[in-house]
Amino acid sequence: MARSIPFCTVPTCLLLITGLCCRVVANGLVNEEVKRTVDLSTHIAKITAEILLLNQGDSAVHSFILAVEPELAPNLAYVGASVKGDEEEDGILELKQTMIQGQSGEFYKVQLPSSLAVGAKLRVKVETVLSHILRPFPTHITQAERQLVVFQGNHYLYSPYPTRSQTTRVRLASKTVESYTKLGNPSKSDEAIEYGPFRDVAPFSEDALKVHYENNTPFLTISSITRIIEVSHWGNIAVEETIDMRHTGAFLKGPFSRYDYQRQSDSGISSVKSFKTILPASAQDVYYRDEIGNISTSHLQILEDSVEVEVRPRFPLFGGWKTHYILGYNLPSYEYLYTLGDQYALKMRLVDHVYDDQVIDSLTVKLILPEGARNIHVETPYPIDRIPDQLHYTYLDTFGRPVLVASKNNLVEQHIQDVVVHYTFNKVLMLQEPLLVVGAFYILFFTVIIYVRLDFSITKDPAAEVRMKVSSITEQVLTLVNKRLGLYRHMDEVVNRYKQSRDTGALNSGRKILEADHRTLTNDISSLQARLKAEGSDLADKVGEVQKLDGQVKELVCRSWQEAERLVAGKVKKEAYIDNEKTLSSKRLELVTRIDSLLDTL
Amino acid sequence: MAEHHTATDSKHKASLNAGGSLHGNSRPNAACGGGGKGGLSGGLAQPAGWQSLLSFTILFLAWLAGFSSRLFAVIRFESIIHEFDPWFNYRSTHHLTTNGFYEFLNWFDERSWYPLGRIVGGTVYPGLMVTAGLIHYVLNLLHLTVHIRDVCVFLAPVFSGLTSISTFLLTRELWNQGAGLLAACFIAIVPGYISRSVAGSFDNEGIAIFALQFTYYLWVKSIKTGSVFWSIGCCLSYFYMVSAWGGYVFIINLIPLHVFVLLLMQRYSKRVYIAYSTFYIVGLVLSMQIPFVGFQPIRTSEHTAAAGVFALLQAYALLQYLKNRLTKQEFQTLFFLGVSLAAGVVFLTVIYLTYTGLWFCIKNVNDERVFVALYAISAVYFAGVMVRLMLTLTPVVCMLSAIAFSSVFEHYLGDDMKRENPPIEDSSDEDDKRSSGNLYDKAGKVRKHVSEQEKAEEGLGPNIKSIVTMLMLMLLMMFAVHCTWVTSNAYSSPSVVLASYNNDGTRNILDDFREAYYWLRQNTDEHARVMSWWDYGYQIAGMANRTTLVDNNTWNNSHIALVGKAMSSNESAAYEIMRSLDVDYVLIIFGGVIGYSGDDINKFLWMVRIAEGEHPKDIRESDYFTPQGEFRVDKAGSPVLLNCLMYKMSYYRFGEMQLDFRTPPGFDRTRNAEIGNKDIKFKHLEEAFTSEHWLVRIYKVKKLENREPLEHKLRSIVPRQKYTSKKTSKRKRGHIRNKLVLKKGKKLNKK
Repeated sequence: MARSIPFCTVPTCLLLITGLCCRVVANGLVNEEVKRTVDLSTHIAKITAEILLLNQGDSAVHSFILAVEPELAPNLAYVGASVKGDEEEDGILELKQTMIQGQSGEFYKVQLPSSLAVGAKLRVKVETVLSHILRPFPTHITQAERQLVVFQGNHYLYSPYPTRSQTTRVRLASKTVESYTKLGNPSKSDEAIEYGPFRDVAPFSEDALKVHYENNTPFLTISSITRIIEVSHWGNIAVEETIDMRHTGAFLKGPFSRYDYQRQSDSGISSVKSFKTILPASAQDVYYRDEIGNISTSHLQILEDSVEVEVRPRFPLFGGWKTHYILGYNLPSYEYLYTLGDQYALKMRLVDHVYDDQVIDSLTVKLILPEGARNIHVETPYPIDRIPDQLHYTYLDTFGRPVLVASKNNLVEQHIQDVVVHYTFNKVLMLQEPLLVVGAFYILFFTVIIYVRLDFSITKDPAAEVRMKVSSITEQVLTLVNKRLGLYRHMDEVVNRYKQSRDTGALNSGRKILEADHRTLTNDISSLQARLKAEGSDLADKVGEVQKLDGQVKELVCRSWQEAERLVAGKVKKEAYIDNEKTLSSKRLELVTRIDSLLDTL
Repeated sequence: MAEHHTATDSKHKASLNAGGSLHGNSRPNAACGGGGKGGLSGGLAQPAGWQSLLSFTILFLAWLAGFSSRLFAVIRFESIIHEFDPWFNYRSTHHLTTNGFYEFLNWFDERSWYPLGRIVGGTVYPGLMVTAGLIHYVLNLLHLTVHIRDVCVFLAPVFSGLTSISTFLLTRELWNQGAGLLAACFIAIVPGYISRSVAGSFDNEGIAIFALQFTYYLWVKSIKTGSVFWSIGCCLSYFYMVSAWGGYVFIINLIPLHVFVLLLMQRYSKRVYIAYSTFYIVGLVLSMQIPFVGFQPIRTSEHTAAAGVFALLQAYALLQYLKNRLTKQEFQTLFFLGVSLAAGVVFLTVIYLTYTGLWFCIKNVNDERVFVALYAISAVYFAGVMVRLMLTLTPVVCMLSAIAFSSVFEHYLGDDMKRENPPIEDSSDEDDKRSSGNLYDKAGKVRKHVSEQEKAEEGLGPNIKSIVTMLMLMLLMMFAVHCTWVTSNAYSSPSVVLASYNNDGTRNILDDFREAYYWLRQNTDEHARVMSWWDYGYQIAGMANRTTLVDNNTWNNSHIALVGKAMSSNESAAYEIMRSLDVDYVLIIFGGVIGYSGDDINKFLWMVRIAEGEHPKDIRESDYFTPQGEFRVDKAGSPVLLNCLMYKMSYYRFGEMQLDFRTPPGFDRTRNAEIGNKDIKFKHLEEAFTSEHWLVRIYKVKKLENREPLEHKLRSIVPRQKYTSKKTSKRKRGHIRNKLVLKKGKKLNKK
């Protein structure tokens, strides 16, 4: 704050403004005791402050103000406050961004769970996560070098209230520290630096804290992620994340040697070989691919409460290198989709875990709801920019599925929270897609039937028609003749039976039936023959010949009939009968063969 | 033909209680390996109904079998484009789908053949891309959100089904339906065709064989009917073939040959005249619509035979006409005869030069059977000339063997067969005049004889019959097994992804190619130029999306030679070339670590040879051999080889690497030698990336270094005043304005 007024009138001005501000913001609150922890062990800075608030004013207080330094505000990814409960559970407090006149920085008004009476104390915990705050220095390193980073922050708690006493503890990623600011003679142990305690710090105090140390943790940043959640009422939720990832540590200078990388364990120590993505326990059909196909270097491990994917990019990521991939999986919808009548509610994570201590620069979420979902209402856990809804068409869609699109920048692990989408959906619409398929097949088959059955030729060919007619008639003749020939077989059987049983009555009745059949068949054939003649086909003669031959066959059959009767009556000897029968049957065979050859020419 | 009669068969069998013999329909099912369809005994009134249902089922199963036997690579690896050329096809299809058809036709690809570029629209057969793009478009229109990659991967297997259907149609026209079904089953699984049409092999041949067979079918149909309708259909199919593959030349030579032989055999008819005249004119015009073909059909020698036969046919037709009209005027007839003879002699020589003289005679010859004979002979000839054209041989072999099997089965399986009539095609939709007698008659009427039951045993003993049948079935089954085995082992590797198997059967995937290509794609400048040997050009363009100098479309030999020269020169000479070509990265394939034999050192002699062809003064192949004439990479190798850029890039830092304890460091597993030059240093290059198994190595070409700073101070020039008026009262010297006249080489006046 002092920086903003650079010239000689500083003291008076400062006093004036400070006094003004204090009047504006200080409603009698005092930070009685502050314990700050600045965790720099990863590639993000996590600053937690435990503050004991004391109300020294003259009225009860319902809220207090959280402040973030103007220098750090652009890197602020997450800020949250909670009340230290008696037990483990912390009560999360509601935050609302506000402005304080005359002060730069970002300010949040925190609503207390209950009003803080005069003289009462309350212990709150404030968590701030800053991304991209660790600056690699030097900015370019070779493969063999280690990565050094600089952190620039504040020794004091930036607060609109005066602070009685505070300590600051800085946790580092390694023992190697190049330099650090030495305000108040800090003590340095292995991987931590302890500052303070500082007494009676004025409101809005700032003092640059600078640490330059070695940090080889993976400096991975997701420069953009598109998360597509597609809900199907047939029992599946498909999730697909398209991720652009970049190593935002010190750039690789000079060559990349695979030999060194393979043979020396500390070569390329700051590079990223692989990381773990934790998916929901019910995730199935996980795929991990990019534009040119499946990435074959990944492993999947199914644990009891989660599915762990060891995501290994195609190549190790060195400083400045980037990669791009798609990770997708299916979830059963019964775990995330709740329904009551036509009312549906989808409760899913707005953003999910990609790697530990993740930093997402830009997130786009697309929620594809089933076709026909209406009255859509979204509850997000934190403010997020809605982009106008879109329509998405996929299998068997007719009027499109509503797509909710939202985006947000600068997210960290703390943003992995659930979003709830309420909508109504008429269950009858479920039938639409099967009916569509049924209808399509119906039309297809119907068209085929129409096409096959109807004549679409534009010219009329009488000759062809006659030919077709003739062929259909001959077809009928053939079946009838065959039937007739079958009748003779049948007659033989009747005769044989008669020879054994000597039942004349059965023979006569059988004969009667067969003869009647034979007569109808012969009549049918001759009527067909007449029709053939009417069509002017020469086949009629052939049919006539067949009829003639058939008459002879019939005669032969009748004769064998009589022979059999005579045999049974004892009028002929058995040998003579057999001889007779043989000649008869050979004659018959000859005739039948001739009929067959005639039929073949039809 | 046997399944033709199954319905009547079963009826007769029911009534005549004849002993159960083999069902006729068991044969095609066995051939395609499909499920049995035994329950035919129910009397369906129309035999045609059963027949078409059965044919439909068999064709469907053949399609299914052909489709699924091509999926080995997809199941073992993934849905990925294979090899080299398909990557280009895929890339251009992708361009087509994203930018539209006209953008594709006008596409100038500045990412290949740097700095020349390539006019893609005018130098490709667009049929493949348009087909895939159209399928993709239609599917997306129906909201079937299929990725274009999947369309490309599965295009060839789907088209194999269409090929088997068109083979069925063609064989049915030539012989009969049974043979057609057998041929369809054969072509569905025959390895010669599978080799070019597995899933992922997104290449011209995949759809071209379909177009080829379909064109031939329509041609046979049109020559049988003499109808313009079928001829036009044939032309359209030919147009599709032209747009798909350079092999269309085969059609445009075979069809004229067919016509020519028909003329020689005195089989000229109006049908031939109509079919060929229509086909030639419309087909010619249509084929010239393809930008890549352009005016070739009237300029190049491959197409002259077609033109010649066309003219000959016109002359012949005219002659025929005149014969009818001008019988009396013998003089004129003779005159025309003389003219046409002269013309004929010219074309005869052309055609005899084009084709080897061939003559083939088969029993029951008719127009279309002449065609298949010619097809077979010319395909054998072409396959002999170039092994890749084996592909054109495959379909005809399938058809002929199907006919052979079919007739054998007719004899040995068909106890209900007519003897006197040879089996004739069932052209139920044919409606022309029956000019060729009963050849085109309906054969579907041949039916089962009551009387022949007794006669059947006389011909061949049932034992011999069943033995022969079993043998044939065994043969067919062996064929199916063989096809599957060959497909699975020989043709189902994407070659982009390598796999090795451990002793316990687990598989290691070596994904180095994609690792390196993806590194290029992600971590180099978008316009970076990558130099590599031409084999990898299409893959770099497709997978890494970077500019290449040379690629698999090897149209510019001098450019390739320049790259070869850079690879085979020493570093400083190569640096000159690379600077002149604006190269940013050099990519090489090195198999010495894992023992991959197709690497650049093994291809290196070709680079040297091609470079020598263009630059004989700088590169000499003999320099790369030892005095004994060996190509060695170890200490005995020639010093030129040991210091050339390719060698240095391949073995950079490899000399330090010890792969196992039995071999010395720097032991090359591919060539089984310890490398000769272990101390490799680069001046102008630096290692940019090496893949996990060292298969791909990428080097960065450094920019020129800054010049050394000057030792002495820069000369400071103090602007001197040329003129000041010093007119004082003492020195009154006049001067003239613009007096200074500078003369070259002469100092100005010194003070």
